[in-house]
Amino acid sequence: MKPKILRIAVPLVFTGALALCLCVAAQQTAESNAHRLQAYDLRREVFLLGTVVKYQTASAVPPMGAHLIVQTSSGPVDVHLGNAKVLHANHLELNAGDNVRIIGEDLAFDDGTIFAARIVQKGAQAVAVRNTRGFLLTPASTLSPDQKESLRGVR
Amino acid sequence: MKRLLLGLTAAAALWGAACGGGTNFATPPPPVGKYTLASLKGQYAYVTNGETFNGSLSATPLARTGSFTADGLGNITGGVEDVNAAGITSLALQITGGNYTVNADGRGRLTLDISSNGVTSSIIFGIVLTSTNDGLMIDETSNSAQSSTGSGNFIKQTPGSFAISTVSGAYVFDFSGLDNIQPPNQGPISIVGQFTASNGPITTGVEDVNDNGAFTTAAAVSGNFAADGNHQATLTGNGRGIALINGSQYAFYIVDSSRVRFLSISGGMLSGDAVIQNIVPPATLSSSSFVFIVAGSSAKGGVTRVGRFTANGASLTNIVLDTNNSGTFTKTGGTGSGSTFSNTNITMDQANPGRGTLTFTASNVGVPFTFVFYLSSATSGVIQDISHTSSGVATDVADGSIEAQAAGPFSASNITGTYAFNWSGLSIQTSGNFSIQDEEDVVAQATVSNLSLAGAADSFQFFDGIPVTDSVVSGSITPGGAGTGADGQRNTLSVKLTKSNSLTVSFVVYVVNPQLAFFANDINNQGSTRIVAGILKAQQ
Repeated sequence: MKPKILRIAVPLVFTGALALCLCVAAQQTAESNAHRLQAYDLRREVFLLGTVVKYQTASAVPPMGAHLIVQTSSGPVDVHLGNAKVLHANHLELNAGDNVRIIGEDLAFDDGTIFAARIVQKGAQAVAVRNTRGFLLTPASTLSPDQKESLRGVR
Repeated sequence: MKRLLLGLTAAAALWGAACGGGTNFATPPPPVGKYTLASLKGQYAYVTNGETFNGSLSATPLARTGSFTADGLGNITGGVEDVNAAGITSLALQITGGNYTVNADGRGRLTLDISSNGVTSSIIFGIVLTSTNDGLMIDETSNSAQSSTGSGNFIKQTPGSFAISTVSGAYVFDFSGLDNIQPPNQGPISIVGQFTASNGPITTGVEDVNDNGAFTTAAAVSGNFAADGNHQATLTGNGRGIALINGSQYAFYIVDSSRVRFLSISGGMLSGDAVIQNIVPPATLSSSSFVFIVAGSSAKGGVTRVGRFTANGASLTNIVLDTNNSGTFTKTGGTGSGSTFSNTNITMDQANPGRGTLTFTASNVGVPFTFVFYLSSATSGVIQDISHTSSGVATDVADGSIEAQAAGPFSASNITGTYAFNWSGLSIQTSGNFSIQDEEDVVAQATVSNLSLAGAADSFQFFDGIPVTDSVVSGSITPGGAGTGADGQRNTLSVKLTKSNSLTVSFVVYVVNPQLAFFANDINNQGSTRIVAGILKAQQ
């Protein structure tokens, strides 16, 4: 079993329903918890605040795709960003020492969990890397109207 | 497999395409076989799914469907195609010329000269014939006008069938791609179903939709088929028209009365085929074994599932399944997986002939596996993953093919001869010091003798921007037990591609019959570097 990653996680939505959900979840078995974490759910979203320790555009460690190690006040967190081309297309550079805010949530993965980012924010710039249902975005999500129009020449 | 994994990127440590001086390139031996230029003659309807990269644009999802005419002498004499790049469409582009080669082994290169906005440029495909009626292809376009990749296939059309009245009867269909929601909330979508058409109108139908993780179950289908009012001649000339299906427009290409190919043109980016359901599938499956494969996207990235089962009434036994979910491999069922199954069931929908659902819970996976399928015959159909959490949210969006499995055994005695194969998906690719995940496509031909592979391949790891042609293929197939998987033993396939460098990919392979197999990459020593799946098909 992978070690549980510690983090500061602030629920984005303080609703009664969420509070109830968390309370109930605490009583559930590990198996049902894994069930719950198999799909992305906006109601579970939290945000991380921290400093970039390492950014990899492609990691051989699953899940495939870009990973960000963020140092939070509770320890390092491995954040899955998905398609690095989305960040590149948005001209968002991530370097060690950058302060970032990540909106996302834990997803069951392998025999542990991975923090799946939906929005990555550095300074005033925020870039969506997943849609609201948690599916990874493609660079097509970043196209300007002019860029889209230029696609009409594609054969 | 008809389509690639949606959504993500890939990239991989590559066998280099570099052409530096002094590099030693492995070259395949001279091709041998029965194919000639004359083996590709007539009109062929083709589809590809992949990516394009245009100048400053990042890689953009790209789907195309079209029809080209080959003269049997190496020339392309005409045709038409429709293109959808992440929802931006270019309709009825004229194929003004081109050329092709066919080696004795069925491999070759197809160049289509296409006019768009008064400018003509070429797109190029690596092809391998599976017969004189069909073949596999990858997009290898890399020129000053366009860089694009993707996998697909082509099927010979029957020009005498180019009429709306040809599309009559019951058809099973599978459309997949990107939904028509505007970014940034655009997501993957899969639609499988059945419709009945009658000389234009779709009179009845039923479909199951997984749109960005939200299900629509057994919904009605309505619509119609018609000539394209703006390009009327493409119906009689190319079998092309416009279909309206549940409010979405599609360009369609008639192969013949048994198959029609589709590309959405009114939002989103979907493509797929409809196949005639001319034999009503059984209401109950009796001692029937099936192999199936699905590919698509989960919240973690690309996902593939390939497996087999035996159905007998509501009973589901001998389940074996291999999943690659964004680089994590999970084996369920079979020897060594340590998993057991519960809550197994398969049900045929008595109200909708050919439609069925199957479900099983594996002890080592948190969510029950659930699928809906539509059989176009007793032996073939399409399948969609509808596995979901207890709150009803889909774990992924994925679909593919389901085929009845022959009895076996499968061994060196019957898996022999010449085969074409293709795989597509994502891999980690490197350029200089920079690595990223991007699309990977491979098309190849190999002779299988004593379960060893020897042949040649083209590949395109898109981030490199340069396709690698004529790599040497070697490898082996290792059957487990009787080769069917029913005894819990898995088959494996190892493929090595060698050019200036080499790449070895390990697969788990499920044999449908000695002429057809589905495969997906398996755990190997390369870490999480690849999510690909493909098809192995005997050449006829």
